[in-house]
Amino acid sequence: MASNKKYWKSVEELNENSSIVASLEQNEFNEGQAPESFLGDKETLESSSTTRRDFLKYVGFTTAAASLVACEGPVVKSIPYVVKPEEITPGIANYYASTIADGFDFANVLVKTKEGRPIFILPNKEAKGTTNARVNASVLSLYDSLRLQGPKIKGNTASWSDVNGKITAQLEEISKSGEKIVFLTGTLASPSTDALIAEFSKKYNNVSHVVYDAISESAALDAFQEVYGERALPNYKLEDAKTIVSIGADFLGDWQGGGFEAAYAQGRDVKAGKFSRHIQFEANYSLTGANADKRVVLKPSEQSYALINLYNAITGENLPSKKTPGDAAIKQAATQLIKAGNKAVVITGIQDKNAQLIALAINNFLSSEILDVTNVKYTRAGNDTEVASLVTELKAGKVGALITYNTNPVYTLANAADFKAGLSKTKLTVGFSTKEDETLSEVQFALPIPSYLEAWGDVKITANQYSLTQPTIKPLFDTKQFQDCLLAWTGQTVSYYDYLAAFAKSEILGGASWNKTLHDGFAKVDVTSLNGNSIDAVNAAKALKAETKTGEFELTLFSSTALGDSQQANNPWLQELPDPLTRASWDNYLLMSQADADKLEFTNPVQDNGAINGQYATITVNGVKIENVPVLIQPGQAQGTIGLSYGYGKTKALKEEMKVGVNAYAVAFGGTQIASIVNTGEEHLFACEQLQHTIAGRHDILRETGLEDYIHGNAKEWNPRPEVSLKHESVDVTSVDLWEDHDRSIGHHFNLNIDLTSCTGCGSCVIACHAENNVPVVGKHEVRVGRDMHWLRIDRYYTSEGDAGSANKKINQASSIDQADVYVALETPEAINPQVAFQPIMCQHCNHAPCETVCPVAATSHGRQGQNQMAYNRCVGTRYCANNCPYRVRRFNWFKYNNNDEFDFNMNDDFGKMVLNPDVTVRSRGVMEKCSMCIQMTQATILQAKNEGRVIEANEFTTACSSACATGSIKFGDINNSEDEVTVLREDKRAYRLLEFIGTDNNVVYQTKIRNTNEA
Amino acid sequence: MSSHYEAPIREPLVLGEKSYHDITMDIVKPIEGKANKNWYIAFTIALIAFLWGVGCILYTIGTGIGVWGLNKNIGWAWDITNFVWWVGIGHAGTLISAVLLLFRQKWRMAINRSAEAMTIFAVFQAGLFPLIHMGRPWNGYWVLPIPNQFGSLWVNFNSPLLWDVFAISTYLSVSLVFWWTGLLPDFAMIRDRAVKPFQKKIYALLSFGWSGRAKDWQRFEEVSLVLAGLATPLVLSVHTIVSMDFATSINPGWHSTIFPPYFVAGAIFSGFAMVQTLLGIMRKVSNLESYITRLHVEYMNIVIMVTGGIVAVAYASEFFIAWYTGSPYENYTYMSIGAATGPYGWAFWSLILFNIAIPQLLWIQKVRRSFIMSFIISIAINIGMWFERFDIIAIVLSKGHLPSTWTRFEPTFVDVGVFVGTIGFFFVLFLLYARTFPVIAQAEVKTIMKSSGEHYKQLRDGKNEH
Repeated sequence: MASNKKYWKSVEELNENSSIVASLEQNEFNEGQAPESFLGDKETLESSSTTRRDFLKYVGFTTAAASLVACEGPVVKSIPYVVKPEEITPGIANYYASTIADGFDFANVLVKTKEGRPIFILPNKEAKGTTNARVNASVLSLYDSLRLQGPKIKGNTASWSDVNGKITAQLEEISKSGEKIVFLTGTLASPSTDALIAEFSKKYNNVSHVVYDAISESAALDAFQEVYGERALPNYKLEDAKTIVSIGADFLGDWQGGGFEAAYAQGRDVKAGKFSRHIQFEANYSLTGANADKRVVLKPSEQSYALINLYNAITGENLPSKKTPGDAAIKQAATQLIKAGNKAVVITGIQDKNAQLIALAINNFLSSEILDVTNVKYTRAGNDTEVASLVTELKAGKVGALITYNTNPVYTLANAADFKAGLSKTKLTVGFSTKEDETLSEVQFALPIPSYLEAWGDVKITANQYSLTQPTIKPLFDTKQFQDCLLAWTGQTVSYYDYLAAFAKSEILGGASWNKTLHDGFAKVDVTSLNGNSIDAVNAAKALKAETKTGEFELTLFSSTALGDSQQANNPWLQELPDPLTRASWDNYLLMSQADADKLEFTNPVQDNGAINGQYATITVNGVKIENVPVLIQPGQAQGTIGLSYGYGKTKALKEEMKVGVNAYAVAFGGTQIASIVNTGEEHLFACEQLQHTIAGRHDILRETGLEDYIHGNAKEWNPRPEVSLKHESVDVTSVDLWEDHDRSIGHHFNLNIDLTSCTGCGSCVIACHAENNVPVVGKHEVRVGRDMHWLRIDRYYTSEGDAGSANKKINQASSIDQADVYVALETPEAINPQVAFQPIMCQHCNHAPCETVCPVAATSHGRQGQNQMAYNRCVGTRYCANNCPYRVRRFNWFKYNNNDEFDFNMNDDFGKMVLNPDVTVRSRGVMEKCSMCIQMTQATILQAKNEGRVIEANEFTTACSSACATGSIKFGDINNSEDEVTVLREDKRAYRLLEFIGTDNNVVYQTKIRNTNEA
Repeated sequence: MSSHYEAPIREPLVLGEKSYHDITMDIVKPIEGKANKNWYIAFTIALIAFLWGVGCILYTIGTGIGVWGLNKNIGWAWDITNFVWWVGIGHAGTLISAVLLLFRQKWRMAINRSAEAMTIFAVFQAGLFPLIHMGRPWNGYWVLPIPNQFGSLWVNFNSPLLWDVFAISTYLSVSLVFWWTGLLPDFAMIRDRAVKPFQKKIYALLSFGWSGRAKDWQRFEEVSLVLAGLATPLVLSVHTIVSMDFATSINPGWHSTIFPPYFVAGAIFSGFAMVQTLLGIMRKVSNLESYITRLHVEYMNIVIMVTGGIVAVAYASEFFIAWYTGSPYENYTYMSIGAATGPYGWAFWSLILFNIAIPQLLWIQKVRRSFIMSFIISIAINIGMWFERFDIIAIVLSKGHLPSTWTRFEPTFVDVGVFVGTIGFFFVLFLLYARTFPVIAQAEVKTIMKSSGEHYKQLRDGKNEH
């Protein structure tokens, strides 16, 4: 049955007589009215009713509409994957095990990548990797926009095939002529690269490989080689040590490649029932000295004699030496070393082969088990003698080809002028580096290599562990690995990856799986113990004594915590990392004792804006002058000595802001340096983050006790509970509370636990925090006026003149008028040899937070999980919260720190922005920010467990700082989980909370610092 | 020659044997006449300062709070110092108009109009600072509890800054209403005299149709009394609440229970000093010598002495308590040995000198009754009270709990510019006020004229000039 329903398209159709419907039926493809029909008719146009006023209205409206549309924010397109890579899920981080080996820093790391971008470096704890500040910051150096972006021949852009063709041709020519082909590299510690260089040597004649460390450990290597026959560095099992005596070795810093802090902290773990005694003899105030139980101030020349005296005191021999002011301490140290027997170790950083031999002799005499000659270290391999003769040969024009890799001799050589002169006499000069640095600007072929995060590689940091480097991102620039080039030059067609895999399988791994090694980032390999020859201590001592010179000022050069040997000088995170001791950033400076400063009239006046100034010195060493070296007075600097750090004063391949400091390599001649100083009187502006150097009598802030007191004393005495008066009786501060407690019975309750004993002050947590939380860099001037943005800082306190002896009594007894003097005494650091203590401070996440009550718009409030949370987009920026924070951890965005040419750091740069963590907002101007306890990380952990349908494991939660901490000083966890470490630590007798008397009920708990003050 | 002895019970409050008409003429003279050169000079200077301040404020808002001298540990300095200073100055107005009205102090009539004007203009300046000191002032309205679509976001009623918002806005509105109420008969008087139609229209609008009927006057009196009753608690509340910005916080030196009374006394102290300063000038410039007499000056100086005394005792007790606690955290509060001998010693001693030492001169009657000395001392107190707030804010913040956070503050040109700008803005308003408003509550002053017997006394004494 047919339906008589009628479907209609328009009302018009219902009108049966409509002409329109009729005409449409006739003409299916109706053509529109031609514009001519109405525009062409002049009369119609003239009769149209658009008046002048209407016209203006339309113009006005359209202009307004057009400009409103133009007001729309810039559009940034994000393009989804067409074919999603299997391993990438947007929003989920991937971790790859890798290894950094840049010739200065060596570490097993995990690389966190987000959507294919490496954004965070953390230590590979399975491989016992530890990361320092520079390793953590290396992820930003990957995105350095001033990296060399493609190969260059004599300054002109070229292609790789061109480059390889030309170089191979020239090499063949040079090889035929029999001229020398020299590789000058930094320490590689890479078995496969060594193998490739060996293959290269087979193809070409007269090839030699010179290893050059900018900051040399040649003396220690020479000594070790002489005794044990292998060019390596001894390792130290500090975790088992009972007594550690270090003479001038900054082993918690970068000495011999660093990496000892974890073992050191393990050896000082009161919970494990062991606590080494560490005595440090040094001139500069080093990180190691700051952590020592006892620090003795000695000039470099005196250190040499002290070492011989120590030898004499232990062995009873009588090697030639001299008396030093530290002899009494040396005797005590000797007694303690002997008492510790084979658990004792002597370490020296004196850059002299004989000194190193004597140290080895002492350790051998003690039959030290701490000195490890089996699992030796390969983190330094440089040979000063070979480098010196290479420079001579270069200058004489005896080298045919020079290929540099991972080294920047034009900047780091004291005789860089000779080297440069030699380069112009060399037929073929090739440089490999990530940057067009000082050296690459001088060579014919400037070849860019990828960052380790874009490259393959293998590293042997220590003898028993073979580590792999794997790419975590496609190379950003037109780079090629040095090894790939070597393969090309030797006529091989395989890629370095294939070569490496084959090499590792055949030469190193034995039966072990390549895939597993790559996954883990390392594999254990067998080692054999080295047999030592006997040491001629008598001659060593004689030679050492003869070589030791003294003078007006003895200069000790050292690598700064932030910049190390300078490879990452263009890294704004590192530039802004304050030195742990001086807390100055964006600079290197001459460290000087107060007495010498007084003599030469150097001062560090504090300005009205809270910044520190200084004067420039001109220093002369061996006739080489360095001008405009600012002087910073360092309490505890040995009188008659000065210190200067490497790594600054670079001129090439870095942004204007980073061109700070002076180049200390210019006077790095090795051995003790004698300097003379002239005060030019000109003013220098420091960027120092801490103005007050002592704790001003407020000792409950940073609690410290001796080991004896800890073991046998009453905890109430060295870790007293704060008390308040309630109804005229003293009660514990926590028993009085204005606040209602949050319900903590369900869910997580996060706590940070910071052990002041094991915190070495290295600053790696500071950089980790920067990386994880997109903390902006603000530049030298802003740091100078107290506007750094560090969410996590490490306060450093010196003991003061007032702390010693009867001073505490003095405060109590002083009349009001004398009190001012007592204040001054408490405020002034002890000049001769103060002790140092570090205290990392971040938001304390108070359960009863003073900041939360005062915010008028409730932009900061309390989280269910114990965090004090900051809602950036709610903040109006009154800064009241910061004023009311007793810990002063809140940081205000004084300016717009991203996309702002005034702050030309990584957030103003398309490459630099790639490092930003997509899980964390970049804050806008005018809002407050602070530590969030890495809530994005804890939430990710919770979600992951939820997805996997399991309970969160004990100690599974981490924060950026806790994951970066090599010594385990910073621990994070959930105190609602009784198995988490922090739950137990919270109740420890060492536990205290900062300024607990205020009643803020912090979620950050500190553990009292312990020093082993036992003299016997 | 007088056979009749008249006991001098009180000094007269209006000098010069003025008639009602004289008073009218004295008050309307600046409004109906042309401004003199001095007014233009003063106005130009004030306007330039104001515009400079506007420039500095725009620069701050456009670039960021970083253009001020603040840093991570000193989050407030000149901004809140100026805020509290201006609020304090704004205190005398209500006290004079409300409290003195309730106490039937007739001498207030000569000064209340200008004191209230000063209050309102000072509160304008004060209100500016909480707004511009914000990192994101364009979101400043978030501090108002207005229904919104941001989700369930609401203001934090625990925050003293929010209390400030209420306290200041209440104070401003009540003061404004009170001031305007008093102005109605005076505006009507000007309206009635005005010959230019535009002027007449304006003053007719301003006077809200005041007709001068008995009912008008009755309501006027009633409203004045009710408003006085409402405003009196505000005298105490505003600065109490401002002081709570500090007192409820936990910084040593701020966390102090005596702050509310101490701040109220300080505010009245500074408010009266500012009234002295302004009237010292106005008296001369607007020829008000007959109305603002030595007696007025002396009375105001006595208020200054009393409140100044309270303030001095508060300082002393702050100093004592800080020392008496024996807590190392109290060693460096703004009233402590640490502050006196520290880098801000100059600010500490300025405070002592200007706020405690110099006002003691007022114990001498000659000084108290001297126009010029009162003027100078009032300036000193204005400076001293600024330092008080600066000391409380900057010294305390510069020496926080953790010594590692100790730092200093140095103002930038923008800090100075904004402050100078508010002074300029204040004087722009005040100078415009002096030219367009009846600067003395003439209707009220006319009520204290001795009209009935005076004429016959003069006849008797043979001084009849009629």
